[in-house]
Amino acid sequence: MSTHVLGGPPRSPHNVGPAPVEHEPGFIRRYVFSTDHKIIGIQYILTGLVMAIAGAALATLIRLQLGWPEHHWLWLSRLLPVGMPSGVMTPEFYLAVVTMHGTIMVFFFVSFVLVSGFGNYLVPLQVGARDMAFPFLNMLSYWIALLSAVTMLASFLVEGGAAAAGWTAYPPLSAVAAAVPGSQMGQTVWLLSMALFIASFTMSGLNIVATVFSVRAPGLSMMRLPLTVWSYFIASILGLLAFPPLTAAAVMLLLDRHFGTSFFLPSGLIIANKVLPNTGGSPLLWQHLFWFLGHPEVYVLILPALGIACDILPAFTRKPVFGYRISVWCLVAVGCLSMIVWGHHMFVSGMSPFSGEYFSLVTLTITVPMTIFGVNMLASLWGAKLQLTTAMLFSLGVIALFGSGGLGGLFLGNATADMQLHDTYFVVGHFHMMIGGVTLLATFGAIYFWFPKMFGRMMNETLGKLHFWFTFAPFFLIFFMQHFLGLQGAPRRYYAFTAFDYLQKTRGQNLVISIAAMVLISGQFLFLVNFVWSLFRGHRAAANPWHATTLEWTVASPPPHGNFDAVPVVQRWAYEYGVQTIDGDFAVQTVPSVSA
Amino acid sequence: MNALADDITLREDQMRLGLWMFLATVTMLFAAFTSAYIVRRSGSDWRHVALPPILWLNTLVLGASSVTLEIASRAGLERRWRAAGGGFAAALVLGFGFLAGQIGAWRQMVAEGVYLPSSPHSSFFYMMTGAHALHVVAALAVLLWSAAATWSAGRDVRAWDAQVGLCRTFWHYLGGVWVFLFALVSLY
Repeated sequence: MSTHVLGGPPRSPHNVGPAPVEHEPGFIRRYVFSTDHKIIGIQYILTGLVMAIAGAALATLIRLQLGWPEHHWLWLSRLLPVGMPSGVMTPEFYLAVVTMHGTIMVFFFVSFVLVSGFGNYLVPLQVGARDMAFPFLNMLSYWIALLSAVTMLASFLVEGGAAAAGWTAYPPLSAVAAAVPGSQMGQTVWLLSMALFIASFTMSGLNIVATVFSVRAPGLSMMRLPLTVWSYFIASILGLLAFPPLTAAAVMLLLDRHFGTSFFLPSGLIIANKVLPNTGGSPLLWQHLFWFLGHPEVYVLILPALGIACDILPAFTRKPVFGYRISVWCLVAVGCLSMIVWGHHMFVSGMSPFSGEYFSLVTLTITVPMTIFGVNMLASLWGAKLQLTTAMLFSLGVIALFGSGGLGGLFLGNATADMQLHDTYFVVGHFHMMIGGVTLLATFGAIYFWFPKMFGRMMNETLGKLHFWFTFAPFFLIFFMQHFLGLQGAPRRYYAFTAFDYLQKTRGQNLVISIAAMVLISGQFLFLVNFVWSLFRGHRAAANPWHATTLEWTVASPPPHGNFDAVPVVQRWAYEYGVQTIDGDFAVQTVPSVSA
Repeated sequence: MNALADDITLREDQMRLGLWMFLATVTMLFAAFTSAYIVRRSGSDWRHVALPPILWLNTLVLGASSVTLEIASRAGLERRWRAAGGGFAAALVLGFGFLAGQIGAWRQMVAEGVYLPSSPHSSFFYMMTGAHALHVVAALAVLLWSAAATWSAGRDVRAWDAQVGLCRTFWHYLGGVWVFLFALVSLY
């Protein structure tokens, strides 16, 4: 019988020992159907970046419509004859575009690149393992994820077009085919794609948790783990527990859509002048099930972003992160609290005032560990001589957006204020700053920081810094302004505000936002050029170009198959900066401490 | 302990951990169904449908398959391989019997005119028992995998025990889920 205690002391050297001698795999096994976590991580990242281009294209359409609501974009009418027949978007197509933009960005960009991509790439390297605990499952996870992404994109091509009920897929809109064109096959394909995504994401999360628990290098206790690993660990547990209720809800919605059940459809519903035969269902039931996933999901996305920023900061402040232990416990506290706050998305649903009070209270409670974490990030900058590399700029951007966006959360978490702000652009501004901006900037920060490790070449810093400013400045402007649009009462999801007198004065603001959005999207070409150019022409990267301390920097860039030639034995915590060693003002985790 | 044995132990630990995490996700799935059931139960159109008595027999069959699996496991640890093989065969037959019984229950309900959309109660019944049956199909594959390891020659008792341990956990867990679901749809 086993004598090991999972999650207990790190493994003895035997368990993470030298890679077994294997014959060199062929191209297909090595780069396509690979079980190597690094290749799978890169596959996720590249797929996610392609999906981001799709999501950004949809964002462009949204902003063209809101900035110039009556303009005839004739060239677009040729490209999108159904959605924009005369060059002006139809309301139904706008709903589909908004729905797919949200879905793609949340599930197929941020989840792919930041969570599954960097999670796959970094976690085994940072815990000193040769690979994930279940490499085959990992490969399966990627291919199912790819299938789900292709399925989601294909939904544009089915009858009625893509789903149009919002990324939250609220019934009855999502449950009745006659409600809107996107509720025909598009919504069914959306649900099937999400089912595939959930299966894949579960496999990925299961792998990350098992890897952190079971294959940490000798000496790497939990309290020596980098915050990146901690954040992935907590996010993965959250994903494992929060996604299944969405699966259950998706099954029920599919049954409502195709088999005549009434889980979510109430009595007496009239759609397209017909009374539906359904009785007694509750659309609110979907909202509860959806947000039981949906709220933890925002932490699944944002925690890795914060963890990554915390690992990038010390490399360029040359001092340890501030309050490591407290930050770890904050991550744990946020993970626990995130499971019990979902109702704050539903304050206007007619819930009991007592429930509203409860959800307000726990939501404001969750801001405490989040604020402590944010203050720890700020304090990590205190007294440091900052090296403003591109990765550092993006990490500083993470702090800025986290602070600004988080402030809006205080208003939305309070039921009384939320009653006014619900479903306005205040909400759109808030969540774009948080799960849009914090994650986007952290993703870019991570790419600039670990690109040398992944591909063995440095990215161009000048282009990188330009890219940062062309990203951060318009992004901040767009979503900061949207808070004020919300305060003026502009509702989200409306395809035009031209019909409302009270919103006439916001047209100028929407125009500015749209112009900023075009600048933001154009700025991303700097990144694409830099990425592709650096892949082939970037300066060769050393093993540890940033003089950082965690285990991935102890191996070659890019790391070999199997990662570590010899078992790394960890001697220190993850942030040993400001000490003098023969390497400089830092000590990687494997350097023995003087007292040892 | 040598390095190879250590690696095997690690693999077993990982598999066990992976299984428990998977079961945690399955628990959350059925918890969501249950919570939806409780919410929907308060609807004014709720009407209990008569559940076919064969479900009691199915419950007994599933319980018996768990018992035979335990007997097989103990026999294997004592290296009584014929008994272990027989136990696995019995567990498999009973497992497939449960599945056949569930299909029989659905057919009986359909014959009586109780369909998926007939009432919220029947909707939940078909959906939850269907979801459970799908998991049973997966567990039967695992059971078959362990049975094949029992029937084959040249077994390593330690590895066999680890494999069967996973199988037992999965199978008994699904037995527990069934008892819970049956109680829920019958009593509430």
